[in-house]
Amino acid sequence: MIRGQVTLAHGNGGRLTRRLITEIFVPHLSNPALDVDTDAAAVRINGGELLMTTDSFTVQPLEFPGGDIGSLAVHGTVNDMAVAGGVPLYISLNVVIEEGFELARLERIAASLGNTARACGVAVVCGDTKVVPRGHGGGLYLSTTGVGYRVASSELGPQAIREGDAILISGPPGEHGTAVLLAREEFDLRAPVISDSASVLPLTQALADLPGLRFMRDPTRGGLATVAADIARITGRNVELDQSRIPTNVQVEAICDMLGFEMLHLACEGRVMAVIEAEQSRRALELWRQFPGGADAAIIGRVTALDDPRDSPMVVLRTAVGGERVLEELEHDPLPRIC
Amino acid sequence: MSKSGVAAMTFEFAGTVQGVGFRPFIYRLALKHRVNGWVLNRSGEVVIHAEGNRDDIVRFEHDSLTLPPTKAAPILVHRCEAQTLGLRSFRVLESEDGHDGHPWIPKDSFLCPDCALELVTPSNRRYRYPFIHCTQCGPRFSLIERLPYDRCNTSMRAYAPCEYCSREYRDPVDRRFHAEPVCCPACGPGLALRHADGRALSAGNEIATAIELLRAGAIVAVKGVGGYHLMCDALNGETLARLRSRKRRPTRPLAVMFPPAGPDHLDHLREFVDLQVEMAIALTGPERPIVLVPKAPAPRRRLPEGIAPGFGCLGVMLPSSPLHEVLLRDHGEPLVATSANLSGNPTVTDERRAETELHGIADAFLHHDRVIVRRLDDPIVTVTNGTTKFLRTGRGTTPTEIALPECIGPPVLAVGGHLKNTVCLAWDRRAVLSAHIGDLNSPGNLRAFERVIRDLTELYGVEISRVVCDYHSGYASSQWAQRCGLPVETVLHHHAHASALAAEYGQTQELLVFTWDGVGLGDDATLWGGEVFHGRPGSWRRVARLRPFKLQGLNRAAREPWLSAAALCWDTEQVWPALDALDSDSVVHRAWERDLNCFTTSAAGRLFDAASALVINHCHSSFEGEGPMRLEVCAAPITDDAPLLAVTEIADGFWEIDWRILVPMLLDSTLTPARRASEFHASLARTIVELSSMLRARLTFTCVGLTGGVFQNRLLSGLAREHLVDHGFDVVENRTIPGNDAGISVGQIMEYLGRRDG
Repeated sequence: MIRGQVTLAHGNGGRLTRRLITEIFVPHLSNPALDVDTDAAAVRINGGELLMTTDSFTVQPLEFPGGDIGSLAVHGTVNDMAVAGGVPLYISLNVVIEEGFELARLERIAASLGNTARACGVAVVCGDTKVVPRGHGGGLYLSTTGVGYRVASSELGPQAIREGDAILISGPPGEHGTAVLLAREEFDLRAPVISDSASVLPLTQALADLPGLRFMRDPTRGGLATVAADIARITGRNVELDQSRIPTNVQVEAICDMLGFEMLHLACEGRVMAVIEAEQSRRALELWRQFPGGADAAIIGRVTALDDPRDSPMVVLRTAVGGERVLEELEHDPLPRIC
Repeated sequence: MSKSGVAAMTFEFAGTVQGVGFRPFIYRLALKHRVNGWVLNRSGEVVIHAEGNRDDIVRFEHDSLTLPPTKAAPILVHRCEAQTLGLRSFRVLESEDGHDGHPWIPKDSFLCPDCALELVTPSNRRYRYPFIHCTQCGPRFSLIERLPYDRCNTSMRAYAPCEYCSREYRDPVDRRFHAEPVCCPACGPGLALRHADGRALSAGNEIATAIELLRAGAIVAVKGVGGYHLMCDALNGETLARLRSRKRRPTRPLAVMFPPAGPDHLDHLREFVDLQVEMAIALTGPERPIVLVPKAPAPRRRLPEGIAPGFGCLGVMLPSSPLHEVLLRDHGEPLVATSANLSGNPTVTDERRAETELHGIADAFLHHDRVIVRRLDDPIVTVTNGTTKFLRTGRGTTPTEIALPECIGPPVLAVGGHLKNTVCLAWDRRAVLSAHIGDLNSPGNLRAFERVIRDLTELYGVEISRVVCDYHSGYASSQWAQRCGLPVETVLHHHAHASALAAEYGQTQELLVFTWDGVGLGDDATLWGGEVFHGRPGSWRRVARLRPFKLQGLNRAAREPWLSAAALCWDTEQVWPALDALDSDSVVHRAWERDLNCFTTSAAGRLFDAASALVINHCHSSFEGEGPMRLEVCAAPITDDAPLLAVTEIADGFWEIDWRILVPMLLDSTLTPARRASEFHASLARTIVELSSMLRARLTFTCVGLTGGVFQNRLLSGLAREHLVDHGFDVVENRTIPGNDAGISVGQIMEYLGRRDG
């Protein structure tokens, strides 16, 4: 018997979201193609293979420094496909609009969405529109499904991760979450933070052929910490991260310090975390750094064995001052509706 | 069988009977009463076969229960007639592995008077031997690998006893007859002193060389009973500053170990502090705990300020092992003895980890080669109002046994809180509290948490069938519970506090309990911590709380008391000038207004934080409770005219204490900080008494409990207790089970037990 009600925290991408999925949905939907641990599912059609992913967007405000809900919808869908080792070709678009929404604003967002899709090389091929009564929606919700094909090895996935593998991130975490927060709450700070919202396809394609590439994920809701926790949980190994090596946007860091946020829990929309065999990690870094979205890429940690096989895996963050602490996945979201 | 004829009996003793000299005692008793037969350890019990004249057996049984060795606490769990075997002697037999035993595990203890005397007697074989002990004293829990308690099941199995020690072990009239870890300089563990660069120093003269190093200002890591200490000259301010900077421990008080002097060993210590009799008793007890002692107003000698900068108490102790006894005697002056770890990590227990983890902190290492099987930190004791309270359990007190009021049924494990974590294992009518594990944000402590659970269940041979955890699902302990695959029950943090207190005083009557601490999740999605409950374990009813307020910054608020102060000022629309600098862009204020990263709390601990920021400008803490500790020191002698806080019934039978009139007083710079601090404490104490008196007319209770970390504040708990007693209440506070979060696991067990009956 499942009790209680859905809370905002069930949508934060952290532990409660995972429990919602595994306890409520999976038991009713289970089938061989369903995989809750990857961003895109592989499906077989007429002897060929397609990758398929889906996403919805409820961000508030709809427009923020560095993007809007339209560009975010495209990037989110492209990125889910990209980190699964695929290339997206087609996107569907569902639009839920609240009565009273300004048409001019809707067009601005549609234009942004169209431009972003062209830049990413994907075509929006079908769609649907619904209008809900005033007060029943936050202005505009988007929902997208992406279809594409695989370029990386089909072995790519958390099950491929080995002890000693290196963990990389393509740039500083938390910019998207911070940018949306600042736009929403009308803090007037001198230097605004710009969302990192972007396609990571160039970055994932750059690594697609690299031997020793194990796993990629874009740290969205729940941030870098939640991806690290997923790696530890799924592989049954420890993840050790080195705080001093994590690229940092100093403004994001300052905001986090001021408001008491864990920077590593804040969402990104244009970053990739990759797990790569240690010997190949330097090479991966060189490849990434050739792209603007990978200029600050860094090796931030590694996967290690448990001291005792009976221990539970954990994420250990070595702090800049030389201490250690357990880095937990996101529990209660301080910032709902970030994407 | 005739009344005085030949008879045979089997006796089974449980309770504390292993590692305390119980078998040798039984042997001597058998000789005295002309009883033949045998005695043996079976798992944690002692089994006796006694045959002979029936009257002799009766006297033997009587003496076995009434005259046992000091540390033994035998419980006769089974007695029955047995077959006579025609035995002609009484023997101590090899231990048996039991199947359904009820093991009781002995605790570590400091030297008994006999060994202490041998240690200083030049003609004795064990003169100055750092590992001297006997059946009545020495290491136990720290070196037991498994039961029964035989040498081969302890880390002493690495040493084969010499001919001399073997003779003592076999000699029924010797003090060391069947002393399992018996050893001497010829056959037992030894010392090794190594420089931080790896060089071995002065074999055979380790203690003298270590003292030379200490006198020269070195920091030496010394291996004790349950872990390493970092030791250094407590009188050298420069050395203290170096220790603090290397250990990244800027302000937290450091424990100091004093050389034994005078008939009760306390003369040297008395030059520095004034000791109440309860403190002296605690200091010289076999647990040798750290005792918190108020700084004396005019001591003959003073420790440097760097020991406990700006704090009202010193943490002092006497040597905790023969090694420390010899070291401190030879050194002749106090030494700092702080647990050897990196800030937040577990204390190191083995040579290799000591040398790697303390690299850059310790200048030298005084190792010994007896393996520490179980990490045990020094226990900490405080004395308030003549009551001795454990704030932390550890070496000498662990495993702490709690007798349950009834059988708990299938075994239950309670996994405690998140900070100051301990776990508690319960089965039959017993609950066993683990050693202190600590803050589960530390990877080392989180690993230790899992190992302690495995260790306890394996050691006692108990298979857990159910787990109890905190209601807060974000605690690492709660997450372990959710993953473990067993049925889980949750208990509210403050119900656990109240029940942990009730555990010490039986459950026969209903209590009114003030549970005041930092924060714990309540069942209304706010963070509690200023709650008052009425009832008993399993059926607490929340009857009052402090007025809740909105606080910005989640975990950061615990480290930065100014956030609590700001929240109170914003809530009451008061101006606190210091905020201009602390929140210069008004970002926090804006976030507070917009509910961003905010939570609602009724925590008394946050109220104390706020007061420490407003009165003494303590805005950033380097450890939990630092602000309130400093505020307490600052308070002037209490005036009687402190304002009473308003108490309003906000729902049927539910009252709220309104702290708002305190804010303008705390901000009033025309009053001295000392005056403001004392009014703050006195107001809260008066309100506790008023509320109790008012509730007495409506609810049934005569006994008021004070528990939770906030009542570690001596001023608050002292005032509240005094006035409550004046008003005819009995007052109960935690004694052997910590009243802070280290007691949560015990409370969870009691709550589970109470709930099951309710």
